[in-house]
Amino acid sequence: MSMATLLADWQDNGNVSVSRIENFIFGVSFLLLSQLPRQLAHADSLEFLTVDNFEPLTAESFAKIKADYKGKPFLLSLWSIDCAPCRLELELLGEQKKKDASFPLVLISADSLEQRETAFYILEEYSLDGLTSWMFADNFSERLRYSIDPNWYGELPRSYLFDASHAAFAHSGVLTQQQLASFVETLSQ
Amino acid sequence: MRIFLMTFDRVLTKSVVKSGLKRLFLRPLFLKQASLRRGALVLTIALNSMVSASESVDARVDCDLSIDTVDCGSAYSATMDRSGKLWVSYVRDQHVYVSQSDDKGKNFSSPVKVNNIAEDVEHNGENRPKIIVTSEGEVLLSWTLKTSNRYTGEIRFARSNNSGETFSEPKTVNDDELKVGHRFDSMFLTKSGHLYLTWIDKRELHASIQAGQNYAGAAIYYAVSDDYGRSFSPNYPVSSNSCECCRIAMAPSGEDGVAIVWRQIYDEQIRDHAFAVLKPEGKVSLSARASFDDWYINACPHHGPAMEIAATEDDYHMTWFSNGNLHQGIYYARYNAFTGVSDAVMQVDGKPGAGHPDLKEFDGKLYLVWKGFDGKATQLNLIVSTDNGQTWSSVQTLYSTEFASDYPLLVRDKDALFLSWHSNEYGYSFSRLAGQWER
Repeated sequence: MSMATLLADWQDNGNVSVSRIENFIFGVSFLLLSQLPRQLAHADSLEFLTVDNFEPLTAESFAKIKADYKGKPFLLSLWSIDCAPCRLELELLGEQKKKDASFPLVLISADSLEQRETAFYILEEYSLDGLTSWMFADNFSERLRYSIDPNWYGELPRSYLFDASHAAFAHSGVLTQQQLASFVETLSQ
Repeated sequence: MRIFLMTFDRVLTKSVVKSGLKRLFLRPLFLKQASLRRGALVLTIALNSMVSASESVDARVDCDLSIDTVDCGSAYSATMDRSGKLWVSYVRDQHVYVSQSDDKGKNFSSPVKVNNIAEDVEHNGENRPKIIVTSEGEVLLSWTLKTSNRYTGEIRFARSNNSGETFSEPKTVNDDELKVGHRFDSMFLTKSGHLYLTWIDKRELHASIQAGQNYAGAAIYYAVSDDYGRSFSPNYPVSSNSCECCRIAMAPSGEDGVAIVWRQIYDEQIRDHAFAVLKPEGKVSLSARASFDDWYINACPHHGPAMEIAATEDDYHMTWFSNGNLHQGIYYARYNAFTGVSDAVMQVDGKPGAGHPDLKEFDGKLYLVWKGFDGKATQLNLIVSTDNGQTWSSVQTLYSTEFASDYPLLVRDKDALFLSWHSNEYGYSFSRLAGQWER
């Protein structure tokens, strides 16, 4: 949010009689203070959680993830702590990762980041806690789902096999051994 | 004017307030949010009867500062009692709360804790506490207690016989004493005064695992009380091999029975819907497949159906979501319990992002609401049928929000039909869709 936007918004509000100078002071103070909670919140979370590798997934994150894998294939697996079949897929992926540490795997949990502790213990069970993975940054799940795939209705597990050009094969339900095996085969080509 | 602080961090809010800088620093943010809300509020009052919903959407408070408000929970349910009083239940910080409103949602009483001892109450779209107020004024609550991260849970029940001032200690209704899944409770009170609780149960799955056998999905079980929940019958089985993660819809069947619709697993792979009628003594009849979508999926759709009894004999209106080979999106059908045939099957919304429909009849018209998402904002949509679901009006968008929101639920009393909905933008809102009503 830029200073100009802030000021413009206040001035648009006809009910309020604050001078431009006052507005400016409010704005500067607000912008300075608005940086504070991030630091504090971060320090706060470190107190009760040891170490995990979760990043918040915002509406912009998936585009960044794809950019990081530019020209490279990867497997995207969407899961949640509330989804029993997801455990089968995590188990399969955990084994694959053990076989090949460089296997290009992107895990996104459709749970909000507040549940990171639970999610961490689940991933730990399948030795998937070591890699960076993502959790929904807020509870506006429609928007976050849409940012990954407008055609995903929220069913889990959901996976996407992206080739090097990022054309994707989408699959709802637990990924089968065969689907994973044929994807692995394409990696070595 | 109330202080609006949604984007403020908890830490900052407290420190600012403590240091007496509240007025100085909160004002700009409030103004920002106020203008944002005006811009985002889209209220299409296209129906003649759809009035003054804006009255109920202006309550928004800072949920970090105030506990004593109905706006700051999740997983809401609502019901109207005989006198026209609105009752709302929701979850906050491991407690189920109940609040009442004498003016149809404009003002609310101080919320009362139902479970005095905090417990891990499930609170998501498919898993919300249910509330019923009997004609004698007893307040009945059910919910699911999460007992581990392994999909285990218990069906909980509590009651108040002093108009919601205090509640009984919650008790567990599932009677197998197994640490397995008993979740996704639904509750219904019949005209005869039989209280039904039905839920998704994993005792059969557990027994199969013990016996080294395969078992697809979970099962549907139920229990009945003929004394408003002071005691319950033994648990009765309804169906094996249900889907594990979708709410169960309930509607009346005769004076003392209920009809239910749930997502069932067919041929171990297809997750479509099933129908059955339950009776107080444990008898299950008219079990049949109620939707033929052919959704081949080994996953949790988290997308349960809704149902309403129709005026025509043995007919039920149902609405559901599928992404099957035959049907994709939100659907409507009128299902006949005796023939097992669905009529007037119609795609309500096939667009991506459509979900979580509810439907209710009022004054001879059938109202169907659901959520859509256009990439930026969630829309709450409504269609109306005046001919028993045969044909439908064009789509009216009631609300649009660029914030997170709960499922829409329809609530009816003898005078009016209401929409119950919570969003992070407007807080809890209760607005009239049809009928007579004065605040």
